[in-house]
Amino acid sequence: MAAGGCGSGDPLAPAGVPCAFSPHSQAYFALASTDGHLRVWETANNRLHQEYVPSAHLSGTCTCLAWAPARLQAKESPQRKKRKSEAVGTSNQTDLLALGTAVGSILLYSTVKGELHSKLISGGHDNRVNCIQWHQDSDCLFSCSDDKHIVEWNVQACKVKCKWKGDNSSVSSLCISPDGKMLLSAGRTIKLWVLETKEVYRHFTGHATPVSSLMFTTIRPPNESQPFDGITGLYFLSGAVHDRLLNVWQVRSENKEKSAVMSFTVTDEPVYIDLTLSENKEEPVKLAVVCRDGQVHLFEHILNGYCKKPLTSNCTIQIATPGKGKKSTPKPIPILAAGFCSDKMSLLLVYGSWFQPTIERVALNSREPHMCLVRDISNCWAPKVETAITKVRTPVMNSEAKVLVPGIPGHHAAIKPAPPQTEQVESKRKSGGNEVSIEERLGAMDIDTRKKGKDDLQTNSFPVLLTQGLESNDFEMLNKVLQTRNVNLIKKTVLRMPLHTVIPLLQELTKRLQGHPNSAVLMVQWLKCVLTVHASYLSTLPDLVPQLGTLYQLMESRVKTFQKLSHLHGKLILLITQVTASEKTKGAPSPGQKAKLVYEEESSEEESDDEIADKDSEDNWDEDEEESESEKDEDVDEEEDEDAEGKDEENGEDRDIASEKELNGDSDLDPENESEEE
Amino acid sequence: MVEEENIRVVRCGGSELNFRRAVFSADSKYIFCVSGDFVKVYSTVTEECVHILHGHRNLVTGIQLNPNNHLQLYSCSLDGTIKLWDYIDGILIKTFIVGCKLHAVFTVAQAEDSVFAIVNKEKPDIFQLVSVKLPKSSSQEVEAKELSFVLDYINQSPKCIAFGNEGVYVAAVREFYLSVYFFKKKTTSRFTLSSSRNKKHAKNNFTCVACHPTEDCIASGHMDGKIRLWRNFYDDKKYTYTCLHWHHDMVMDLAFSVTGTSLLSGGRESVLVEWRDATEKNKEFLPRLGATIEHISVSPAGDLFCTSHSDNKIIIIHRNLEASAVIQGLVKDRSIFTGLMIDPRTKALVLNGKPGHLQFYSLQSDKQLYNLDIIQQEYINDYGLIQIELTKAAFGCFGNWLATVEQRQEKETELELQMKLWMYNKKTQGFILNTKINMPHEDCITALCFCNAEKSEQPTLVTASKDGYFKVWILTDDSDIYKKAVGWTCDFVGSYHKYQATNCCFSEDGSLLAVSFEEIVTIWDSITWELKCTFCQRAGKIRHLCFGRLTCSKYLLGATENGILCCWNLLSCALEWNAKLNVRVMEPDTNSENIAAISQSSVGSDLFVFKPSEPRPLYIQKGISREEVQWGVFVPRDVPESFTSEAYQWLNRSQFYFLTKSQSLLTFSTKSPEEKLTPTSKQLLAEESLPTTPFYFILGKHRQLQDEKLNETLENELVQLPLTENIPAVSELLHTPAHVLPSAAFLCSMFVNSLLLSKETKSAKEIPEDVDMEEEKESEDSDEENDFIEKVQDTNNTGLGEDIIHQLSKSEEKELRKFRKIDYSWIAAL
Repeated sequence: MAAGGCGSGDPLAPAGVPCAFSPHSQAYFALASTDGHLRVWETANNRLHQEYVPSAHLSGTCTCLAWAPARLQAKESPQRKKRKSEAVGTSNQTDLLALGTAVGSILLYSTVKGELHSKLISGGHDNRVNCIQWHQDSDCLFSCSDDKHIVEWNVQACKVKCKWKGDNSSVSSLCISPDGKMLLSAGRTIKLWVLETKEVYRHFTGHATPVSSLMFTTIRPPNESQPFDGITGLYFLSGAVHDRLLNVWQVRSENKEKSAVMSFTVTDEPVYIDLTLSENKEEPVKLAVVCRDGQVHLFEHILNGYCKKPLTSNCTIQIATPGKGKKSTPKPIPILAAGFCSDKMSLLLVYGSWFQPTIERVALNSREPHMCLVRDISNCWAPKVETAITKVRTPVMNSEAKVLVPGIPGHHAAIKPAPPQTEQVESKRKSGGNEVSIEERLGAMDIDTRKKGKDDLQTNSFPVLLTQGLESNDFEMLNKVLQTRNVNLIKKTVLRMPLHTVIPLLQELTKRLQGHPNSAVLMVQWLKCVLTVHASYLSTLPDLVPQLGTLYQLMESRVKTFQKLSHLHGKLILLITQVTASEKTKGAPSPGQKAKLVYEEESSEEESDDEIADKDSEDNWDEDEEESESEKDEDVDEEEDEDAEGKDEENGEDRDIASEKELNGDSDLDPENESEEE
Repeated sequence: MVEEENIRVVRCGGSELNFRRAVFSADSKYIFCVSGDFVKVYSTVTEECVHILHGHRNLVTGIQLNPNNHLQLYSCSLDGTIKLWDYIDGILIKTFIVGCKLHAVFTVAQAEDSVFAIVNKEKPDIFQLVSVKLPKSSSQEVEAKELSFVLDYINQSPKCIAFGNEGVYVAAVREFYLSVYFFKKKTTSRFTLSSSRNKKHAKNNFTCVACHPTEDCIASGHMDGKIRLWRNFYDDKKYTYTCLHWHHDMVMDLAFSVTGTSLLSGGRESVLVEWRDATEKNKEFLPRLGATIEHISVSPAGDLFCTSHSDNKIIIIHRNLEASAVIQGLVKDRSIFTGLMIDPRTKALVLNGKPGHLQFYSLQSDKQLYNLDIIQQEYINDYGLIQIELTKAAFGCFGNWLATVEQRQEKETELELQMKLWMYNKKTQGFILNTKINMPHEDCITALCFCNAEKSEQPTLVTASKDGYFKVWILTDDSDIYKKAVGWTCDFVGSYHKYQATNCCFSEDGSLLAVSFEEIVTIWDSITWELKCTFCQRAGKIRHLCFGRLTCSKYLLGATENGILCCWNLLSCALEWNAKLNVRVMEPDTNSENIAAISQSSVGSDLFVFKPSEPRPLYIQKGISREEVQWGVFVPRDVPESFTSEAYQWLNRSQFYFLTKSQSLLTFSTKSPEEKLTPTSKQLLAEESLPTTPFYFILGKHRQLQDEKLNETLENELVQLPLTENIPAVSELLHTPAHVLPSAAFLCSMFVNSLLLSKETKSAKEIPEDVDMEEEKESEDSDEENDFIEKVQDTNNTGLGEDIIHQLSKSEEKELRKFRKIDYSWIAAL
């Protein structure tokens, strides 16, 4: 489709190696690198399809290449109803690739068979071949060379059909007209030849430097009314070495105008040009120009007559590496070639190094004037030896991926706070509660300090450590406390811990429960303790549900497998604790405060037990919450087996603290504030 | 304007390549394999299909190179013909009509004018090996009815027949016995292994057989993984066999290398084993070939092997056990759970591929692009193992996201479920795992869909499950102090009266979500996740659900299991129309309002294309396939077609592909077969003129010159110098052992004379002829030594009188010969 970058220039330049997309579906991309290897890549999956080294690759490196026009090869036959017949889908199989070399020979390489098909030498060029063009219809090939000649080859017989002198200097570029009857050739000036007679039809002034690319941009004249003779009125494009302008010329009927009709300006010498042919007057010509500096410029223009000012590109595409860290700056990645896909809306970009290019299909967004694509090709830079041949791609699976297991927030929909109307009620209640509890709060503080002072025995440091750890989120400190296995110690610590740390502790425990099962076993003990000791405090919290929703979900998912068993277990435990609790209360008459506490605990447990909605003071629970809470309690109950009795040992303290807790809970919505005050 | 033909069903992706053993060409450049009704010629270097040989009218069942001309290929088919092809140009040379179904063809170099074939004549299950005589005739089609029976009651598979030791015998295996037929003796020996009654040898069945190319050795493969090497089988009693055991499962195929020094075997383990020198110790392995090895073949040149695999691929392997090329068709090994999808990025068709992989298949080039390894676990191919299956996959947000669901269920209660969300990373041009969700639901996921609305700011995914819930997953910011990240979290869980959620589907603009719960369709607002309304037709469980598009976006379509197709109007919340149609596949076209439905009846599948706005189909095609159609998909065309007639307009912007139960991928084409075929004749016919290499300059030119010189001399002078090698006297002198030669003085004159030019030009030629005659005589009556001497003397006497030089030399030769003769007999006597 497009002529390769046949421009001369130093062979070590990053861009400008001869390369071309296969015609029609652009399934392949052929690239003749400077080391003399021809590599054919599959564009769809960016895989090296084949590699070929011509025998004389060092002496006669490839200077230009061109795909033969596609011929239908695969056939299709109807699927008959009776028999199992088969049809093969159409595929425009492209086969032959013509390579021009620096010594003047032309190689025909069969990409299907992967071997050299034939070699055109005899009677041909005796100097570097600059450009090769296949004739669309007949089996002809045109080539031009530094030896000033143009040769027409008969590919079928591999013989020279015609050879004529094309210019006084070397002929650098060729292009065949859309109807196949004319030929454009260019050295410094551009000539239009009639193919039949090999006579010059028109002269164009050309460029100051050798023309590196020629291309017809329209296949129909702009003015439909005039009779069309196949050439008059057509536009073509030319680019030259070291020239930052692409000129557009029009073939006029009268031989007077000799300068370019218009020109496109680009940032560097064009090395690869592709365009979409416009088939009617309204459709603009889309032009993609790859420059030597590795940028692609896109032009979209309706060609209609003369324009003095050079046109600038509608869109520029650049590719760069991502700068790793702050120190390294992004580096540009050169684009080697660009070709329009058949839908004309996307562009195939080839970028990177020529021995390991990356081929990507980029959708075009004409609105943006500048596109900079960030691509990481670091793994492509290292030339790697092909290992086992497989057609398997492995997507990246690294540890950065988020893992959701049942119980972890995000696995299940988060439990949202209750609907707004109930919230209003709550807030009212809260405010009421607040008013009442201001003085109580002071008292509570007092008690707190008193309690702290009373810290004694072996558990002295643990609650402090825990509080500090939770406040500072110190991992080490928390580990020290939470990784204890002593049940009594845990109980005592939980009893002595300040109330405002209950919620943070629960959240910390939840986090740890999600971790390794080994550590989770320890956390269960803590959780059990906290929930049994501080159940009443928790039940008073208005925003409990969103805060502990994850914990609930976690527990639910963890005990799912043994749902019925845990139900039974929970009920039995409840019965036992009730019995023991009632016995104890009988045995030791308790002050009013204490009785209140016991009542609270029982009531919540009763609720959970058989889910009879006997609601007492806690009418801030809407249905969902209640259910969740009750089930949670159940879960807890199921776990609290042996420490049912032990709980009552510290009854006195427990009650004291519980009462404070209650007060605190009512008075203070934000435990953090409280702690600060303390 | 394209002239509009009838819409026909055509096949994409080709048939299985692994039906029979592949065959290499003599120079190992090409490999042939049967594929449906065709024979495909692939290049072993580029993996490209060079030619498709088409001409058979039924399944091709066997191919073999012509042993007498290695540029020709025999193929046989169920249509009862054997065809001879020139594979280089892809031309049919000859057709031999046999008349009965042929199941395999074998060629033997020694039997020049006949081939062997497996036929079944009378009963359907009884197969025979026959020799088919191919008459020599110049016509294109020849009747070859001369069949001679070789073996009866054989296995249908050509793997169970092997010709050994240059066609001296043929070995056939079936069940528990091996029969060997000797062509010369015309006898059959049968060797039986202890059968299934014995528990220890329960799996002794023969599965395949191969014969050593030069020695009398038969290798047989067995169900239990053993390979037995049979020797000395000329004797019914003294035969021996040795065992080679590595395979733990059935040996699928065996092949000897060309020289016979190594034996190749393969099976379900997907490991190619090379047994060197037929010993158990010397083994080489080529593991991880991906799927069960079905066939193994060896190139005549000995440099390449190839293995055909159950996942429809052929791997070409170098002599040093390195895979060099893979010819991969559409993977057809396993059932398709994911359905057909289109990757919006590459426009490739995506479906289940290799186990645990998604395959990307380019419809434009009709080639497999690659397999994407989703599960990423070593695949252990063993019978009875319950594998992790990739059950669902979906692309979202223009190919930026891929969601996959994998599941493994060993028992009913032990479900393992995992959902993975992959993000396409533009920087590295590949998928990266973003979120992995274990057990996203309690039960199997029945449907998975992304919200693909253009202006949706947040990617949304919905999963519906049998556990009665559907979950909405959204992409949220997951950044912390260490990294910027996004991750998926569950946003909403919905259910409807504990019914199983069976389907889910977003409307085109993404504002509504339809989830079907068994018989009921629920419509949810995708912003607040409120239940908007429900539709219930009580017409059976909903099997398919989809929204209308573009102008028909106010309609919702549902197809039920009881064969009712319903269309609801979302504005009036009422049933618009319903039709009785047993819909198997329902697919909306993304580019138009059209919806394609494939219904299943007892005769076959029918296609209906309609718009939701009217219950009248736009296009009906009956009998698109005899089998059940399982999946379908609309593929947007790159370049829209321009059919004007109303019936074909639905094909303008998209193409419809569907997959049948036997996993053949079919599509609709409007072009006539002629139209598709004509360009072939226009194919570029470039003559191959190979370049001159340095070797050519050294050898070729020299030879050419020599030839020319010879020709010149022949032309210029009639008398030519006889080459020294051609003179019998000289050769005798040179070849006779020195100690038996007469004295040099005696030989001298004779030697010099022999070098002299005879007067008659033809004498030089006459002499060797005479000698030959004499030699023959000698061999006949070598015992009569006396006679011979007399005769020699006789000639000596007569010779003297006439042409002295000539006769003398001749007589001398005779004498020399006599000396030799005597001497030999003398040595023999010792």
